[in-house]
Amino acid sequence: MNTLTKENKQILDEKTDVKESKTQVRVYSPNVDVYESETSLFFRVEMPGVDETSVEISIEKDQLHLEGKFHIPGIDRGQVRLAEYKEGNYSRKFTIGKAVDTEKAVAKMKNGILELTLPKIEPKKTKIEIQNS
Amino acid sequence: MLFRILDPQTKANQFWRDFDRLNDELTRSILDDQFGSSSHFPPVNVYTKEDEALVTCLLPGMETDQIEINVKDNMLSIHGKKKAEELAEGTEVHRREIFQGEFHRTLELPFRVSQDQVSAKYVNGVLNIHLPRREEDKPKKVSISVG
Repeated sequence: MNTLTKENKQILDEKTDVKESKTQVRVYSPNVDVYESETSLFFRVEMPGVDETSVEISIEKDQLHLEGKFHIPGIDRGQVRLAEYKEGNYSRKFTIGKAVDTEKAVAKMKNGILELTLPKIEPKKTKIEIQNS
Repeated sequence: MLFRILDPQTKANQFWRDFDRLNDELTRSILDDQFGSSSHFPPVNVYTKEDEALVTCLLPGMETDQIEINVKDNMLSIHGKKKAEELAEGTEVHRREIFQGEFHRTLELPFRVSQDQVSAKYVNGVLNIHLPRREEDKPKKVSISVG
């Protein structure tokens, strides 16, 4: 699917009545590429319009959560003739089935793409000696 | 993706498997028809004022030399190629959703553009193209003399 962002189903339909106290924020599910090499897992996440200060990456147990805020600066740009995208948040969750070293994770933003590298951990083998009684 | 009624994991029988494949193929061809021709890539916003226009497009992961912008009269075309990533030997691909390949978009603006003054900036994967209106096309105020 080549559309850059697919809106999550979580978004309330704009036509539904929303309580005025709550301002709606769009949540987009960004496109990702996921690769795995012998040593690491690589994630590339499309988050155009997001700068590195607003990216949040969290890993809890085997859950990886990637978030970014996409904010269009509120300067007067004139009349909107065509709007194929709007501002919102990018959010995507993954379950990682491998043990990774979160301490050594490396993340960087490059031209609107988040590149995350998670080094894999080799599971330790412990040999248990059997004692002769 | 279109809503899938059938969950392949729970249906091990061959008929459903084939049905799922057909379903996938159809879905893909419909989506490719809509998006694959890249008529909708990249998504753009167009803003206009009386004597300038701003076009912004979401175009992550490009190098500026891969993007070509052409302006003629009131037509703007954005053209480029997104290369696939070079992967090291033995890399396993789990997911690949990011667009690769060529894209081409042409947009019509409500006025003719002064080609020499067009400027473009690429920030955080968003391309901003600023297009001033041609001087001779700008609306002119006519002063009325009292006679």
